[in-house]
Amino acid sequence: MKTIKILTVLIALMWVSMGPVSVAGAGALLQDLENQLMCKCDDKCGKVLINCTCSTSDKTRAKFSKMLESGITVEQIVKMQVDEYGETVLSAPSKFGFNLTAWMTPFVALVAGGFGVRKVLQSWVGNKNDSDSAESPVVEAKVSEKYSKRLKDELDGIEL
Amino acid sequence: MNDIGEFTLLVALATALYGCVAYVMSARGNRIDLYLSADKTPFIVWACVTISSICLWTAFLTDDFSLQYVWAYSNIELDTFYKFSSFWGGQKGSLLFWTLLLTTYMLVVYFQNRSKNLRVVPYAMAIMLAVVVFFLFLINFSTNPFERIPLPPEDGRGLNPLLQNYWMVIHPPTLYLGYVGFTVPFAFAVAALISKNLDDSWIRLTRKWTLISWFFLCMGNLFGASWAYVELGWGGYWAWDPVENAAFMPLLIATAFLHSVMIQEKKDMMKVWNMSLILLTFSMTIFGTFITRSGLIQSVHTFDEATLGYYFLAFLFVIMAACTALIIARLPLLKSANELDSFLSRESSFLFNNLVLLGIAFATFWGTIFPIISEAVRGVKITVGPPFYNQVNVPIGLALLALIGIGPVIAWRRATLSNLKKNFLRPVIAGIVAAVALYPFVPLGNRAEIYTYVTFVLCAFVLTSILTEFYKGTVSRMGLHEESVVGALTTVTWRNKRRYGGYIVHIGVVLIFAGIAGSQAYGTHTEKHLKLGDSFEIRGYTITYEKLVAIEATSIKTRIIAQLAVERDGKRYWTGHPEKEFYKGQNQPVSEVDVLSTWKEDLYMILADFREDESATIKVYVNPMVSWMWTGGWVIAFGTMISMWPDRLEQRRRLDRVRKQEQLFPSPAQE
Repeated sequence: MKTIKILTVLIALMWVSMGPVSVAGAGALLQDLENQLMCKCDDKCGKVLINCTCSTSDKTRAKFSKMLESGITVEQIVKMQVDEYGETVLSAPSKFGFNLTAWMTPFVALVAGGFGVRKVLQSWVGNKNDSDSAESPVVEAKVSEKYSKRLKDELDGIEL
Repeated sequence: MNDIGEFTLLVALATALYGCVAYVMSARGNRIDLYLSADKTPFIVWACVTISSICLWTAFLTDDFSLQYVWAYSNIELDTFYKFSSFWGGQKGSLLFWTLLLTTYMLVVYFQNRSKNLRVVPYAMAIMLAVVVFFLFLINFSTNPFERIPLPPEDGRGLNPLLQNYWMVIHPPTLYLGYVGFTVPFAFAVAALISKNLDDSWIRLTRKWTLISWFFLCMGNLFGASWAYVELGWGGYWAWDPVENAAFMPLLIATAFLHSVMIQEKKDMMKVWNMSLILLTFSMTIFGTFITRSGLIQSVHTFDEATLGYYFLAFLFVIMAACTALIIARLPLLKSANELDSFLSRESSFLFNNLVLLGIAFATFWGTIFPIISEAVRGVKITVGPPFYNQVNVPIGLALLALIGIGPVIAWRRATLSNLKKNFLRPVIAGIVAAVALYPFVPLGNRAEIYTYVTFVLCAFVLTSILTEFYKGTVSRMGLHEESVVGALTTVTWRNKRRYGGYIVHIGVVLIFAGIAGSQAYGTHTEKHLKLGDSFEIRGYTITYEKLVAIEATSIKTRIIAQLAVERDGKRYWTGHPEKEFYKGQNQPVSEVDVLSTWKEDLYMILADFREDESATIKVYVNPMVSWMWTGGWVIAFGTMISMWPDRLEQRRRLDRVRKQEQLFPSPAQE
């Protein structure tokens, strides 16, 4: 139960952390739009609009700029683009339906891996304790407090 | 000459095939006659591939357009410099180049090891020859660079203008040296599995190869970023293109491998894990080649005639299936006494470092293949671009950065509370000081800026933790030997090359993190349409458009150059010359940006457009801290060089350790 709770919290935290990165400042809307859409030039350059330098991308930017000035929102333009070209025009998968698996899987894998590492470490530390306790009883040397502390300090400083 | 090139490729294939079989038979049957015969094949294969490559280079340099490949990637006007690099400009030549590097590596391995470890080396040579056979098979029968044109044209089609950049001469070979290099540790790992020699000797034999390959892959990625930055003209350096991802993933897995092998070397643990990691690293290099040559995943890097995907997929499948079966078969021998003194130890931090590195690699892999998965499941092909990777990988990357700082200060075996307090005090204070000092100056208006702030704080923490290690070593040396600071620092580093070289590499990584964070969050850009004499301002720079010049550079290339004066505080500071180049027969002109690079920021200029009235559209980016990344790359190079430098002290220490072990556990013969 505790594990499930920790798992839920971790995934929730990661989910929150991967929310869209908003862009501040002037020209932010166009920049945001350019980040969300792919260039649809004839050469199929495969670049995000903001990264593309072809003549088609320049025309598209100019068109979007005018659309934004006329009061059309970023979301509306994105929807129009999706209607025209399909989902492939989006630079990242949407965060609903099957596409959600694109976003969640890496974090689920990471959290699962984290639990796996924890389990492995637990077993390794357990093995060590078992082997220590299984060893034949030895007479423990009564080392003075002073030497024990000195040894501990030196061990702390040693790089093996 | 072309006939010789074609013929030697066939001879190389036949010889490699023979060598592969002969090495295996000699090892299995203890046949020294076969071994001696097989032992000649690496040199013969290398010689044949080298002759063939020389023939292709000659064809490029002599404008022999009877070869389809030369026609497609060169022309008479092309600079000799680029005629040389056109060799790897297309699929056919790049595969031959790959084979040339692979056979060269194989030859060096052969000379290094031919009189050593005769139980493992024959199998390792056989594995490398098997990989060579695969590539030579493709070159001979599917994508032959010596394919002729019946009626040779007078001139060639020419090299893609984007490839006519000096980085084209540097970046692909560097990346290939990294990709190909991982064949060596992979071959030795598989050889160890086959021959059941599963101690850490294969790791020691190939440690330098792993480091060299890692280094080249790292530099190849950075050089690629530099190329994108100066040649593609969009103001950025990394676009999370599938092929960029394909080069990034093996780098991450190899980094995890480099860290986890330390645990095997020190504690004889994680044998299965290390085997799996090197298998995965090699598989990822083949996966990268598959992406570039399959055309299955849309990428700006994909070769024109990307038709070899299924060969690579089949090869990948065979490698993964065979190696997995081999690991499973050897599981009883790979078992080790997995014991750890404490959760709080450097070993644990390395495990988490592996987890995070593989997490980023998996996220990148998942994003790269998700379009295919989506198409298979829903029938809808989607795009997974930079916004996905930035949102998923940045938080995981920050965890990695934190671990880089934790690793050096946490003790091996068991960290005690006093030890933690002592070692973490300075780095934590540095982090807090950085957090407080930066707070008033950095904007925190959105998630990107917050991530950047966290990155800077972590950079301060990590840098302090690394520098503290240097400080402690230096002070201790000064106290013992009465040396100067510089002398003590040099000696400490030189006597522990592997450890301190690693720390220097970490400093380079911190610089790269800082550079990425700064340039991603605090950059700005503007685009202006200007008439001659017009000015505009950006981040304190006043930019004036002075003139536009057209130059007929060659019969196929025209350069249009804009001259922009940059003033700062009323004084002329710099003159920028961004240009557009027009090539005959090419649809799109190529932007040649001009960059004024300083430690603080880059002023990056692009001539986006121009008109007959000499007005022009100018794009200017101010990208902070980009040069930190390139500096980080050189720091990594320096650190790797120190780490790889032959260390007699280390060898002596290892010998002493082995002798002590032998005294403690004498072999039956000694008894």
